[in-house]
Amino acid sequence: MIELIEKIEGEAKLDFSFKDGKIDFVDIEFMTARNIEKILQGKTALDALVINPRVCGICGHAHLIATVQAIENCYENLEISKKAEIMRELTLNFELIQNHFKWFYLTMRPLLGKKQEILKATYPSQLMAKAIAVFGGQYPHTSYAIVGGVVSDLTEMDLIKVNHYIDETIKFFETNVVKADVEEFSACDKVDNILNTSGDLPDILREIKNKEYLQHGKSYDRFIAFGENSYFTKGKSLKTIVTQNISIDYVKEQENLNSLAKNVTYKYKYYEAGPLARAMINKIPLVKDAHRRYGDNIFSRIIARVCEIEQLLNHSKKLIQELDLSEPSYIEPAINIENLTAKGQSAVEAARGSLIHKIELEKGIIVNYEIITPTQWNLCNGTRENPGVSQKAMIGLQEVKTAELVFKTFDVCSVCTTH
Amino acid sequence: MKNKVRVLWLSSIACNGNTHSFLNYPYLEQFLNDFEFIHHPVIDSEYTLKDIVSTNIACDILIIEGSISDEIKRADVKVVDTIKRYSKIVKKIVTLGTCATFGGIFRESGYKDTTGLHFVKEEKIDKFKNLVDKTISLSGCPVHPEVLVNTLYAIKKSVDLQLDDFLRPKDYFAYTVHNGCTRNEYFEYKVDKHQFGELEGCMFYDHGCQAPFTHGSCNKILWNEVNSKTRAGLPCMGCTEPSFPKNNLYGTKKNMGIPQELPLGVGKRTYLTLAGITKAFKIDRLEKKLFDD
Repeated sequence: MIELIEKIEGEAKLDFSFKDGKIDFVDIEFMTARNIEKILQGKTALDALVINPRVCGICGHAHLIATVQAIENCYENLEISKKAEIMRELTLNFELIQNHFKWFYLTMRPLLGKKQEILKATYPSQLMAKAIAVFGGQYPHTSYAIVGGVVSDLTEMDLIKVNHYIDETIKFFETNVVKADVEEFSACDKVDNILNTSGDLPDILREIKNKEYLQHGKSYDRFIAFGENSYFTKGKSLKTIVTQNISIDYVKEQENLNSLAKNVTYKYKYYEAGPLARAMINKIPLVKDAHRRYGDNIFSRIIARVCEIEQLLNHSKKLIQELDLSEPSYIEPAINIENLTAKGQSAVEAARGSLIHKIELEKGIIVNYEIITPTQWNLCNGTRENPGVSQKAMIGLQEVKTAELVFKTFDVCSVCTTH
Repeated sequence: MKNKVRVLWLSSIACNGNTHSFLNYPYLEQFLNDFEFIHHPVIDSEYTLKDIVSTNIACDILIIEGSISDEIKRADVKVVDTIKRYSKIVKKIVTLGTCATFGGIFRESGYKDTTGLHFVKEEKIDKFKNLVDKTISLSGCPVHPEVLVNTLYAIKKSVDLQLDDFLRPKDYFAYTVHNGCTRNEYFEYKVDKHQFGELEGCMFYDHGCQAPFTHGSCNKILWNEVNSKTRAGLPCMGCTEPSFPKNNLYGTKKNMGIPQELPLGVGKRTYLTLAGITKAFKIDRLEKKLFDD
């Protein structure tokens, strides 16, 4: 039974097989690829900063940051100011936040029987887009991060403005998402306390309990994150045991016979990426509590993504205080990129999980480019014997409708998956 | 309930950048009171994509996002067939973005004959010749939300929009992106020592800024209501033009020290004369930092 899943930044086809009234396998097919990696071949390195945000309209900024870091990785000893580093981290945070609001209000709540509230998605995400625009000129599709830093400079007035956008977004969170003070919410380490409050998050979490969906969406309980910054740490988590020593060298992409999306593994195993993975690796108390009670299910996935909004808003406020405006935004690289023949790679945490870029330059010209997107981790199309993360999460369910819900808790992005 | 204008938002080879740019429109509530989507990539709609491609659903405006190729299907039906189906029903067609208008970045995706609806780069194509009279092109990567929304309202009001040679409304595309840039003085007086990361300087001379010869209103209406790429210090990449994306976007091609592409309508001789004059005087204020320590 083939179902077209829509409104996931494109579409995917899920081909369900049933046995004894239960889903016993799901084949995942993505139909349209845009061959961005091929488009990049033969272009000058810096042009990738303009092309790559166009991988995706909702997480293009993560692609920009991954691109600039991959090119910078081609240099030895390239100097970046702390200020530029913080600016890049802030704008990436803002992108994650806008994404999570959109996912929560446009996708997740309607799937749990609530009306789609477009303005609740767009109001806070517009504020975050404004904050990015103050730094980068516009959102989506800025290319303001360049090799050596960022193109823009900031004044105190800009920071006042950006702080207002953050405060307004926090206020929105406190009056809509969870009706509680963010300080209180951030200190909360028991899901039961959240379930007893009001707000749009507790509202759908209770709905999951009432509908007896708590067993839905369990997968391997195996998580991975490669991106590192002042908030996220890299590592993997296997049944709650976290280790930090992981290396991109063990990440492998495989062609997929039935789909234009490539599968990706770490040491030949499938891992879940994304907010739940990050929360497990960073040991976020509230998410850990959800996981302890309910496992790696839809409940934990939802709470992890929404928690990240609050964490990143608060962390961004701290980061702004660390900005030293007297530092340069840009330090010109000592070596002209036209003389650079080297390989580089990067990993950043995008909204949906780890995003990896690899670049190979010959005298500043791109000869090879590889992109591994977060959705490739989560939506691997494996076999019956060895299903991918989201496949495993759907197997055993009885209805296509609930399978779609489980599928979309991974925050599927079709354009990214096939890029 | 009042009659809303019915819009089909059809994606082809796209990144959804225009979809998310549209969601940045500040007065969406008003917009959604006047318009409804029979299908949209993220907003809930009455019909599924399957419904859309298999039957004729009443519709007033067709929006196309993304480059177009015979090879691309959505919901198992060729996008070109869906375009044909709805172009007969609708009053107007809007090509949204540079891909849908000129082919754009994804013209290079490797599909057969990938184009915009009526153009492949500057060249006019005949594939949908009979639809030219119905079409309004909105180029840009992405398109500014106000440009889209106000164009849709103009269609609703049956305004007779003046269009340029690429079918773009002059209201937005008669300007150059250069108009309104806060770095204009550095351009006008040829202060040609821009460095990235600074509030000062103009990116036209060395860093590939295409604003003086790119049609668009970025610096007139501003992005996200707060800024623009060139104001921030990022060169204009010419994303509204048929030639987007050119190569070597962060560098200015020069012949004998003169930028290869000059401001729109300015001849080489005029440019040289002007440059000579402006070089003759030194404006202290523009040589210094804006915030002088």
